[in-house]
Amino acid sequence: MVSLFLLGVASCAQAVKLVVIGDAGHNLKPFEWYAQTFKEKFDVELEVIGVPFGEVYEKEKMELIGQTGAYDIMIVFPKFLAEFAANGWLYPLDEFIAKLDPKMEDVTPGYRDFYCKYGGKVYALPYDGDILNLYYRKDLLENEEEKANFKAKYGYDLKVPETWDEFLNVAEFFTRKKGEKLAGQVLERAFYGTAYYGQKDQIFAWWGNIFSSLGGVYFNEETMEPGINSEAGVKALEIMKTMHQYCPPDVLAYGYEELKDVFLQGDCFMVVQWPCVGKKGADANQSKIVGKIGVAHVPGVKKDGEIYYRPLMPCGRVLAIAAESKDPWKAYQVIQYLSLETSLDDVSTAETGLDPYRYSHFNHPEAYEMFENVEDAKIYLAGVQQNMEKGYPEMVLPGTVEYEETLGVEISRALSGEKTPKQALDDAAKAWTEILNRLGKENQKKMYQELVKGWRAAGLWE
Amino acid sequence: MGIPTRFLFGGVLMRKKRISVVALLFVLPVIAILLAISIFPLIYSFYLSLCQWDIGTGASRTFIGARNYLRLFTDARLWGALRNTGLELLLGVGSQFLLGLALALLLNRPFRGRNLVVTLFLLPMMISPVVVGCIWKIIYHYQYGPLNFLLERLKLNSVNWLGSNQVSIYSIILADIWEWTPFVMITLLAGLQAIPDELYEAARVDGATRLGTFFWVVLPLLRPVMIIAILIRVMDAFKIFDLVALLTMGGPGQSSETIAFYNYLTGFKYFSMGYASSMAYLQLAIIVIIANVFLKSWKGREIS
Amino acid sequence: MKDNLRYIIFVGIFLLLALALSPFIWNLMTSFKDKGEYFTYPPVFIPRSFDVEHYLQGMKLGGTRGIRDSFIIAASTTLLSVALGSLAAYSLARFHIGGENLAFWILSVRMMPPIASILPLFLFFRSLRWLDTYQALILTHLLMNLPFAVWMMKGFFEELPAELEEAALVDGCGRLGAFTRIAMPLVAPGLVATALFCFMFSWNEFLFALILGRSKVVPITVNIAGLIGGHEILWAEISAVSIVASVPIIIIAIVLQRYLVRGLTLGAVKG
Repeated sequence: MVSLFLLGVASCAQAVKLVVIGDAGHNLKPFEWYAQTFKEKFDVELEVIGVPFGEVYEKEKMELIGQTGAYDIMIVFPKFLAEFAANGWLYPLDEFIAKLDPKMEDVTPGYRDFYCKYGGKVYALPYDGDILNLYYRKDLLENEEEKANFKAKYGYDLKVPETWDEFLNVAEFFTRKKGEKLAGQVLERAFYGTAYYGQKDQIFAWWGNIFSSLGGVYFNEETMEPGINSEAGVKALEIMKTMHQYCPPDVLAYGYEELKDVFLQGDCFMVVQWPCVGKKGADANQSKIVGKIGVAHVPGVKKDGEIYYRPLMPCGRVLAIAAESKDPWKAYQVIQYLSLETSLDDVSTAETGLDPYRYSHFNHPEAYEMFENVEDAKIYLAGVQQNMEKGYPEMVLPGTVEYEETLGVEISRALSGEKTPKQALDDAAKAWTEILNRLGKENQKKMYQELVKGWRAAGLWE
Repeated sequence: MGIPTRFLFGGVLMRKKRISVVALLFVLPVIAILLAISIFPLIYSFYLSLCQWDIGTGASRTFIGARNYLRLFTDARLWGALRNTGLELLLGVGSQFLLGLALALLLNRPFRGRNLVVTLFLLPMMISPVVVGCIWKIIYHYQYGPLNFLLERLKLNSVNWLGSNQVSIYSIILADIWEWTPFVMITLLAGLQAIPDELYEAARVDGATRLGTFFWVVLPLLRPVMIIAILIRVMDAFKIFDLVALLTMGGPGQSSETIAFYNYLTGFKYFSMGYASSMAYLQLAIIVIIANVFLKSWKGREIS
Repeated sequence: MKDNLRYIIFVGIFLLLALALSPFIWNLMTSFKDKGEYFTYPPVFIPRSFDVEHYLQGMKLGGTRGIRDSFIIAASTTLLSVALGSLAAYSLARFHIGGENLAFWILSVRMMPPIASILPLFLFFRSLRWLDTYQALILTHLLMNLPFAVWMMKGFFEELPAELEEAALVDGCGRLGAFTRIAMPLVAPGLVATALFCFMFSWNEFLFALILGRSKVVPITVNIAGLIGGHEILWAEISAVSIVASVPIIIIAIVLQRYLVRGLTLGAVKG
């Protein structure tokens, strides 16, 4: 009796301690909010370690290489998933999924198929659904004077641009200098048609939106010849170069903050940006355009009477479990809870930066507290969902960062006028081939073909 | 060396030996600690530089001899980064030295509140480099930054500080000058403080002008301190990373990419540890050469 | 005439000081700004409100422990570097032990780009089970500060004429005595400068702090960098924490400046 009692006490006293690592800041808050629940339901105590966002990759990787076994639950950016999984650092989750269902069919195809799996196995559960959307000033769009002027100049009605040509027209139309009029008022400062993310770590995604809609592919899956300098690639960069004229002069230095602020401060007509911008746009403290934001799908290309568009899904977050975790099952229970049970609360609150990734997230506009009224929330969610359904993945391969960044440097060079688009992309393709050979062509080819298989199964590639 | 020679020959030898033991003891702790910590990284990273190790792909280390070093020479991006670092050396370190010297000379004469002024001048150095980057990011913003705002008010054109591939590297150099001139200033000031007043007096008695005193008395005495101040700044110019990462990420294109940033990318983002190590050794070689040339040409005569 | 010159110099210093401090003042103002005041037109020079919520928030987000950890590491490194470094510097300056080569080797340790040393040091400390400890960072910072301290002090010792120490030796003082009682006090300004800089280098070091620390040892630089989120940068908290973090150094500098900037030392009026 006594021994049973002692055993009971011992097991109660010894909650399993798991270590969580992720980018420091508000995205780690859910782990703290539900700490009590985790303790009661799963007998787990979490130690949450925040690492600077720009250094999450290095920190996680160092510890994994050194096999320190320091982490159990890792917030991973999907572009590293392949690399971590390929090195055997992540615990495959399929058996756990069979035991405790995270309802993956509720997750939009972009994340479900592209960002959680590697080599046919599931290694992570989604946590934050990043995708690019088109935000625009619907108040300016509905302005009678502007509508009349637009029709007079371009010959069709002013509407939300759905193709890249329309996008360029609208951008050109709304680029005004100081002293010109906008919606009946004289401008005190320049107003810009659009802006983009100029820093080279993610600029490829803005080019990628255009590239993907023109049917571009990263590599030819048989020959592994880079597809970035194909006709689609060059055309995409040329479109971007035209777009560049309608942007603020320092757009090539734009990161997340600048891109968000140029729009929310009312200095630009439309931007392609992450979902969080829509949420922040409803906050009067940060946004001068509350209630004036429309959300639409990113522009595409007209094909067979339909608009073919494919927004990129840069960044994003998924929850993975370290292969060396002391208790993978308990860790899985925690991440399943976050990815399913509490996910609606987590993505609809202003206290985190997490964005929706499940169909069920899109079906509850009333939960999104940051919007003044449900109508605004509905507009926002409808727009994001449109994009989520057609998400185009980053290339999730070992070496992704190097590929993306090298491409970004060349894109940036073309846009600053240092090289012509064709030259820049040819150089980028050369660099990609060099990287490919250095990382082991056969290996990369195998992994890439795995990726393509998955993409095809999900209906992304023809 | 000033060892009195009035001892006997044997006495001198004994004294020399004793000096050597003491001298050795003084220096031993430093040698021991530095050896202990640096020997493993040195050997390991040199070995790595002879290998190809792209950790990302799960591939293991393979020994490839000097191929990494050969690759360095055909890497256009590397030479672009070195060019930027060279600009920083000439413009940045040069300005820091001249400004720092001027300030140190100005502050060398005592006046009320000098202590406070000196401490205030130290402030830019006391802030974490990450924060320096953040501050300047806002200051340099084209539309919303105070710098362009002031230029506008003065009826001048706004400058595209961070978004122009012509200007971006100079913006970084300027922020670097702001951050590190205090270092040169304080070092030189400390050096100036140690010059005994008798020397100034003696020079005046000998009929030297102010300028003459400066060039023939002050500067030579200050030389050892100037050397170290410049050397440290030269070495640290190869480490400029935070400013680049926060302000421009090396862009547009590669126009503001420094060698430290590119090395960081290869080592930590691309995780090509072998290549990154070889790049590090190249930098080491360059710095060693510069330092050597600098020391030899500035050595001159010993101060009596 | 001389008074006019003095006046001009005063004004010059004042202007330069204002110029040098303006980014710092901007930083101070930013620490009181709220969302929407960071990037806007016209730029916000005076924030809407001056309440200290960002300071409190910043401290709550790990600022206090960050300052504590950084202080422990920086103070230890500085004490070790200055004490051992001065000893070695004296030996190099006075006895030319090891000649040029030893001095250069010591400096060359600092020349190594940190990237090359990070992985080996990580593995090294891992094998000693010293990851996420103070000693790992203190030792690593010594790699940076010891050579610096040695060369700084070497420069200051070389500036010092040797006669005073020789006189002390003749009087029967040992080498160590000559060092501690004659040489060191005379290079006090250099000592203070070196100590201040060692402290600052260690305080502001980021890369090793990030990689070698984890959860028990999180220096302030890593903490501040953590405020730079992917989709949210807490500008005000960054400014606030950086200002609080600079307070210990400012205090140290104020306490020590007496020795750094001495008044008239050996008699006659200058110039």
